[in-house]
Amino acid sequence: MAALPRRIIKETQRLMQEPVPGISAVPDESNARYFHVIVTGPEDSPFEGGLFKLELFLPEDYPMSAPKVRFITKIYHPNIDRLGRICLDILKDKWSPALQIRTVLLSIQALLSAPNPDDPLANDVAELWKVNEAEAIRNAKEWTQRYAMEDN
Amino acid sequence: MESDDMDYSDDDDLDDAMDYYGNEDDIDNVDPKKTDPEFFMYECLTVDEVEKVLNESVEKLSNSLKITPSLAKVLLNEHRWNSNDIIDRYRDNASNLLVSSRIKSGNGKKVAHVTLLCPVCIQSHTFDKFQNLSCGHSFCKNCWSMHFEIQVSQGISTQIRCMAAGCDVLVPEDLVLSLISRPQVRDKYNQFSFQDYVKSHPELRFCPGTNCQVIIRSQDLSSKKASCKTCQTSFCFQCGNDYHAPTNCVTIKKWLTKCADDSETANYISANTKDCPKCNICIEKNGGCNHMQCMNCKHDFCWMCLHDWKSHGSEYYECSRYKENPNIANESAHAQNLIHLQAREALKKYLHYYERWENHSKSLQLEQQTLERLKNRINEKVMKGLNSTWIDWQYLFTAATLLAKCRYTLQYTYPFAYYASMDPTSSRKDLFEYQQAQLEAEIENLSWKIERAETTDRGEIENQMDICEKRRLTLLKDFFPTTTSDMNS
Repeated sequence: MAALPRRIIKETQRLMQEPVPGISAVPDESNARYFHVIVTGPEDSPFEGGLFKLELFLPEDYPMSAPKVRFITKIYHPNIDRLGRICLDILKDKWSPALQIRTVLLSIQALLSAPNPDDPLANDVAELWKVNEAEAIRNAKEWTQRYAMEDN
Repeated sequence: MESDDMDYSDDDDLDDAMDYYGNEDDIDNVDPKKTDPEFFMYECLTVDEVEKVLNESVEKLSNSLKITPSLAKVLLNEHRWNSNDIIDRYRDNASNLLVSSRIKSGNGKKVAHVTLLCPVCIQSHTFDKFQNLSCGHSFCKNCWSMHFEIQVSQGISTQIRCMAAGCDVLVPEDLVLSLISRPQVRDKYNQFSFQDYVKSHPELRFCPGTNCQVIIRSQDLSSKKASCKTCQTSFCFQCGNDYHAPTNCVTIKKWLTKCADDSETANYISANTKDCPKCNICIEKNGGCNHMQCMNCKHDFCWMCLHDWKSHGSEYYECSRYKENPNIANESAHAQNLIHLQAREALKKYLHYYERWENHSKSLQLEQQTLERLKNRINEKVMKGLNSTWIDWQYLFTAATLLAKCRYTLQYTYPFAYYASMDPTSSRKDLFEYQQAQLEAEIENLSWKIERAETTDRGEIENQMDICEKRRLTLLKDFFPTTTSDMNS
């Protein structure tokens, strides 16, 4: 395997030295491009109190191409589908090589605080979020309880 | 004369000769734009010719605005190659234009980059290794070059953006080409950007034919038929689909989508065989003509409606018209039942039009086979030397070509009729159905005659050809929108 670019080394160092509040990203022991991520559910959101596991992978041409990120923990959210795939513009056409792992994870955390049912990935969830937000939020809380609480 | 298959722009020699001898137009002094509803002026160009056309626009704009050709290209590509509009807007407010065209950053002040650390690779370089765009975002040339290569590998060319997050400024061609080192990547970039330029140019269309390199150019942007001179593919210049007069682009798309969704049912319902309405013997259709004669009982009937052909031959041909079931509103008091009835009626209505659409499409193919059989028959006759020569029979091929052309138009009247039948405000529905019925009757007549032609029938067939084509042109003149503004209404 080719030597790890300086950019990835620097980013990893900074993630360890000055971690983002509420987010932990640790590179895999055997693959420095694969990160085990845990995002805590933001306060005042239906995901509060939950710990969400994600995986993040830096492809060969990173940072020219966006990192690949996926939720491992099940989550009830209009922009995240059953396989944990995330609908977020900066992971697709709005990716910029000047963005970093930390900015991507911050954006995902922000997405938990502000779901966007108008740009859905999980259609049924988005539909309910639009027609009956209270019920959707109840579902999201229930899923957080069931799948993202530590005692489970 | 098949005007839509002719190219009016080149062949100067031929034009001169025509002028000298005087052509039809000189005698009648008619303007084909007014008399022929399908008249379409266009030219078939090669990639090199198109590059020349594009480069001329670029040069003109770059000279009149005193900007680099590369920036002129970005402006033209972003503004659909409308030079005059660009020049006007530039004179009016150059800065606004450059921002909206994503040449300049909308944030106003340039971002001064003081450090010599590239934010992408996090490495220090000397000053000369950096490159910035008009927005001021500066990165090292290595990173720019890698960025370009990755973008090109994803098929992106004219839309390559600045690397800074949230910055929309486009990278001009000269910078991209100066920093891409690998020749294959440069070729790809040029290829992709050429495609972008043609797609953004309103007067240019890639020929949809498989592996065809031809680009069609026309200043007439309406839904007329363009035929590629290299691969013979015909298509609608406006939407790029198969030519579809008299139906418009929006309607034909709706119709084709509907057929793709519903045709399973339709296919199931409309089988390939029918029983003779008189003797009930099973009949398979093996020719294009819808005027059937039962082999068994010699009964003449219409394949579509199974009624006696005599009722079609008389002054009013009704087979193409869909008759609403008049009792539908009274048949049931039950609302539930009514909904069910209406749904069934809607399906029946769709199938009525779909069957006719599909049937004419099949007839077109079968008539192609008929023509092959005719060729063999003619061959035999000519070889036996039975009072006829090749030349005597040539008219029949012209007739078959015209028949195909007329039937093609007839096929495409059905989507038009289907959507017109749903629109109660359509006041011209009756006129359309009348003309459609007339056209259909004349086409079946021509088809019948061609299948049974002898050399002596020439006069009669040529007369029938004339009638068919006149009916077709009348229908198109009345119902085929000739300008783009009509199209969208």
